[in-house]
Amino acid sequence: MSKATALTLSAVSKRYDSGLQALGEIDLSLQPGEFVSIVGPSGCGKSTLLRIIAGLMAPSGGSYQRPQGIETAFVFQDAALLPWRTILDNAQLLMELEGYPRSEYQARARTALQRVGLAGFESAYPHQLSGGMRMRLSLARALALQPQLLLLDEPLAAVDELTRDVLQEELSQLWQAAGFTAVLVTHNVHEAVYLSNRVVVMSPRPGRILDVIDVPFAFPRAPELRAEAGFAELTGRVSAALRAIPQVSSPT
Amino acid sequence: MTPPNFSATAVLKALRDAVPVMAVALILLGLWYLLTATLYKDKGFLVPAPQQVLVALADNSATLLAATLTTLGEAACGYLLAIVLGIAAAALMAQSRLLERSLYPYAVLLQTVPVIAIAPLIVLWSGYNERSVVIISLIMSLFPIINNTLLGLRSTSHNLVELFALHNPSRWVVFRKLRLPAALPNIIAGMRISAGLSVVGAIVGEFIIGSGNSQGGLGVQIVFAQGRMNTALLFGEVIAATLLGFMFFLLVSRLGHLLLRHWHESAKA
Repeated sequence: MSKATALTLSAVSKRYDSGLQALGEIDLSLQPGEFVSIVGPSGCGKSTLLRIIAGLMAPSGGSYQRPQGIETAFVFQDAALLPWRTILDNAQLLMELEGYPRSEYQARARTALQRVGLAGFESAYPHQLSGGMRMRLSLARALALQPQLLLLDEPLAAVDELTRDVLQEELSQLWQAAGFTAVLVTHNVHEAVYLSNRVVVMSPRPGRILDVIDVPFAFPRAPELRAEAGFAELTGRVSAALRAIPQVSSPT
Repeated sequence: MTPPNFSATAVLKALRDAVPVMAVALILLGLWYLLTATLYKDKGFLVPAPQQVLVALADNSATLLAATLTTLGEAACGYLLAIVLGIAAAALMAQSRLLERSLYPYAVLLQTVPVIAIAPLIVLWSGYNERSVVIISLIMSLFPIINNTLLGLRSTSHNLVELFALHNPSRWVVFRKLRLPAALPNIIAGMRISAGLSVVGAIVGEFIIGSGNSQGGLGVQIVFAQGRMNTALLFGEVIAATLLGFMFFLLVSRLGHLLLRHWHESAKA
């Protein structure tokens, strides 16, 4: 991020053309290099918030300030690969779109594939990969761009639990090595706590921020952290914040 | 990725695939023969026997080959034009809902207008020549390609569209790198439907233009054979026309397999 400039959302809200109020007023500031997770019930507008942060969608109220020209990459839940392209060609896609010269993007794509453990699969096709490998490729494609801002929309929701733990550890290492700002939308409280500096808890639609919980554990975080009492206490706090969500009162 | 496989198992597999089709063909041939040996005995002018058809084909092989080649050329031109124009028209309509709403009904009209009724008009305007035949073949094969291509271009995954949008590519880049390749399975499906139609269109066109100054294609020869009550030759010509459309179909299927085998379910073994 262009040197210590935060991304700032002030009273950002979103109402769709259909009249659906997806987001209430959101105030959130993202510091350069920090890892923030957003948790909340289904349909609370957290994906909408992520798309606003990405610049894919304009807020209908409030203001959103982000530094000019920061490289942004987005990782989707379903990996969003191009099935007709080889693994290498998929990894270089975003750089192609950004107009990098071929000599550069091929080398960078190869490096990124190595970093996520997909070296040797360059000429394979996505359908030949497992779910975990597809998500690794999706990460490699984003990281090859060397983004300052990485947005992740439930990237690990569809992989099995063992793979999910491994991928969380890898993602954490990649983030520490590259130093980008990361925003992760997830349903998984453990995942949010394990990866983040801060966890943002949102209310049901229209989504508002109920609580922001700091995660004090130092990086790098060992996989064993998940078994420690302090970790359990913190995930407990996040879960409690989620459960404290005022239920929509049923007519009596 | 894998080179052509000529191993014993591959040959066995090819045989296993071919056996059911060949068995049905033999049964049909047998029934045909039985019919001509019993019910239609000595009524070759109505239903000629398989061997009579073979003799007629052999006797007229030079004329028949030339006619088949003529029809092949016309149908191929009409078909290739339909592919190019069909994909271009669909690409245009995919640019905006307004364009689609304005133009798509005319594409449907193209499909619903009875070709046999409009063919004389086309011949009137374009002349009694092969160009008219190509145009009729084109009209016949155009709609399935427009329709399927448009469906494909409209069905791009929303996530992929967003993935691209984040990096501000031009419309052209999105079309070339995302929408067109994503639509390829639909385009191939449209092309498969049109393969046979292009030959039907060419034959209809030839019926209308008649012999003209050349000996004409299969459609012309069919009219000749009918006029001379040469039913055996008529059968042979119908078979030739059918095989022509079938060959187009196989060719497109092969092309589709080559283009899609790495990634699309429809092309996996």
